[in-house]
Amino acid sequence: MKILMFTWEFPPLISGGLGMACYGMVKALLGLGIKIDLVLPTKEMVYFPLEKPGDVDTLPAVFFEQSKQLRYTAQTFVTLEERLEYIGISDDPESYFQLSDIKQYVQSIKKEYWISETASVQEHELLQQMTDSLVGEEDLIHKIQEFTMRSERFARVLDYDLIHAHDWLTYPAGMLARRISGKPLVTHIHATEFDRAGGPGDERVHKIEHSGMRFADQVIAVSEYTAQMIMSRYRIDSGKIKIVHNAFSVPDDAVRGKKRIFKGPVILFLGRITLQKGPDYFLDIAHKVLQSHPEARFIMAGTGDMGRKLLRRSASLKLQNRFLFTGFLNRKQVERILRASDIYVLPSVSEPFGISPLEAMAFGITSIISKQSGVAEVVNHAFKIDFWDTDLWVETINHLIANPEKCIKMGIDGMHEVNKIQWNDAAVKIRNLYIATLAEYIRNQE
Amino acid sequence: MLNIVFYFQVHQPYRLNHFNVLDIGSDSSLFDDRLNKEVMLKVAQKCYLPTNKLLLELIKAHEGRFKVAFSITGTAIEQFKLYSPKTLDSFKELVNTGCVELLGETYYHSLAFLYDRDEFLDQVSMHRELMQQEFGYHTQTFRNTELIYQDSLSDIVYEIEGFKTIVTEGVDRILQWRSPLYAYKNYSKRMNLLLKYYQLADDIAFRFSNRDWPEYPLTVQKFVHWIDKLSLGEHKGRNQFLNLFMDYETFGEHQWASSGIFDFMRHFPSEILKHSHLGFVTPQETADLANYQQESISFPEPVSWADEQRDLSAWLENDMQHNAIETLYGLFEKIRIKGDEELLRTARLLSTSDHFYYMCSKYFQDGDVHKYFSPYDSPDQAYIYYINALAELEERLMR
Repeated sequence: MKILMFTWEFPPLISGGLGMACYGMVKALLGLGIKIDLVLPTKEMVYFPLEKPGDVDTLPAVFFEQSKQLRYTAQTFVTLEERLEYIGISDDPESYFQLSDIKQYVQSIKKEYWISETASVQEHELLQQMTDSLVGEEDLIHKIQEFTMRSERFARVLDYDLIHAHDWLTYPAGMLARRISGKPLVTHIHATEFDRAGGPGDERVHKIEHSGMRFADQVIAVSEYTAQMIMSRYRIDSGKIKIVHNAFSVPDDAVRGKKRIFKGPVILFLGRITLQKGPDYFLDIAHKVLQSHPEARFIMAGTGDMGRKLLRRSASLKLQNRFLFTGFLNRKQVERILRASDIYVLPSVSEPFGISPLEAMAFGITSIISKQSGVAEVVNHAFKIDFWDTDLWVETINHLIANPEKCIKMGIDGMHEVNKIQWNDAAVKIRNLYIATLAEYIRNQE
Repeated sequence: MLNIVFYFQVHQPYRLNHFNVLDIGSDSSLFDDRLNKEVMLKVAQKCYLPTNKLLLELIKAHEGRFKVAFSITGTAIEQFKLYSPKTLDSFKELVNTGCVELLGETYYHSLAFLYDRDEFLDQVSMHRELMQQEFGYHTQTFRNTELIYQDSLSDIVYEIEGFKTIVTEGVDRILQWRSPLYAYKNYSKRMNLLLKYYQLADDIAFRFSNRDWPEYPLTVQKFVHWIDKLSLGEHKGRNQFLNLFMDYETFGEHQWASSGIFDFMRHFPSEILKHSHLGFVTPQETADLANYQQESISFPEPVSWADEQRDLSAWLENDMQHNAIETLYGLFEKIRIKGDEELLRTARLLSTSDHFYYMCSKYFQDGDVHKYFSPYDSPDQAYIYYINALAELEERLMR
């Protein structure tokens, strides 16, 4: 079985959980013998034909243009980074490629596929809704347009049984590929606009999410929490939705032993500093805990659009040198901050899944997670609290600081629990879903 | 007689490393030695060495009629020794001419006066000892960091350290109808008080190379003509003092050599001395020259020489600055109790006012000046590194 997979993030092209989830999932699927042609928002027009689990780290690439492919194979690269740089993968997912003309995009897509007569009325409407929504002057919209235009060629030239698209950024590409090839489409929902925005968000994104999920043959939700959300907010047929929880594997080279930075207890927030992740709740919690435990240190690790506001607010609350910001951390640095932490908190307002707590638990850190999260469905040895219940967060953290032996025990129990959550189990579920979808497809063809 | 009183501020801070949370406890250095060396070498080559050479020539050429004053911080002296001993030698040579006055200040160019009087006095006496030790000079005139001044400052530097003269900014809202051209007394009438004539001082320090300034280019003739005109207002034979206070780095660093600033300075003394009623004196000489009853002026609130507002807002306005400085002085107490000299030294290096200046988030023109002087991308970055450094200091304290 061969899959054409579109995703916006894949290590080292990574800004959040999506990239980590895709990595674990793809590696496990390859382990089950499934082959995957991976398409990423690279600068150069390439795809990654992945055949065995090790390929997720080496990322073998094929250029679409013959001449470029020849030049590429003639190059010698000393490091993986050098090679990936040549292809145009950067650490910063906001800076891949320049855009050609938008009009060209709308025209070329509309003319050939959207308005074609063979499309059913419903298909036509969904494609129309997606095309109309994928308009704007933002960089990101431009990048998605470019990505979508490219997908046409991938869809035509590559050979595959099924299309798998991750999150709204790649839904237009997935839809177009399905339209061209007639092959079944699985859309994977890692987060909706409601989660990311912590409120209504951008209507264009909702429409693209909606049309993508409606157009798909199957939808994979990363949690029960997310499945409920897409049923109630997007009115997606529950029969089409399958829940596949994410998992977490500790990288082989990870060092997990405790290595303290601070003498006092360290409470960690690790993630994007955006409304969705509840960083403002973290600050409120810190403010209150520090009143009874001034020896504690609160670390906010990550970057995001609320970073500056929270920095200023932490100063105005006079939290002295007890509330610290790390800025952007790479994987090795994340490891070091985890090794130095005692309590991990995820006060997300809405978290479809949330891999980061699993990572923290794998490091033996006691975790407190928002009830409004998918990850709460898969772990038992963690505290689960409503994101808005600041007093309970404070009480829990105070209790853990006052009872370090309890904190350590909870951390160890959590570590054992997380070690059992394997990507392989998730991959088996996805493979079964692929098979069922293909069977359905073949039945319909007959 | 109108006497020009030149005082130049010489200061270099120890800039912080981009100190991250993960650097805490790792024994990595808090201070960016490489950058500090680089800046010192650059400024020595562009400003200190050529300007000192020029001033020495001028002092010799005018045989005692051209005089200047310097205030040199302890952190600058230390970094001369580390990175540019020639610069320190050239200052010594200038002081040896007898035509140079050295002013007293805080060793670390700190804001300690506003937060911790004991620490302030310690830093003042450390600086006095340093001037004695390096230059064999006993300081008589005091300037607080960034010309920050208020009545209570004059009390403690007079009573405890016995300074006789103090210099500060000629702030309009304090002076009102009075002219900064006369020597005043502090509010208690015990100290001689000199006020910067900011219009003319800033013409050199800030506007000299500004092509959008209507008076550009500033020639020596034009400038001396303006000064001459100032002297015409005095009909009773009282001695006036034109206090031109500025950063020494004005010469060659803030105003580049290509702007003609060195030529300006080279010809300025002789042009002044062509006039018999114009001359140069040092700050401490003004007390004896004031041939009139000196009026006392009260500064109930602190003033400074920075930015349009001439108040403390360049260092102490936003929440980041307040949280940072309050945290620092909170640590001073704990360090004293522990009695750890090395930690005290580190805290003092962190007390240098520049660290708080980098956190300034005022916009408009002043923000630009701040940005020019800051080694960081933004006030937020400066704050983050500083707070991390204070977290490191506290961890060391608990060792």
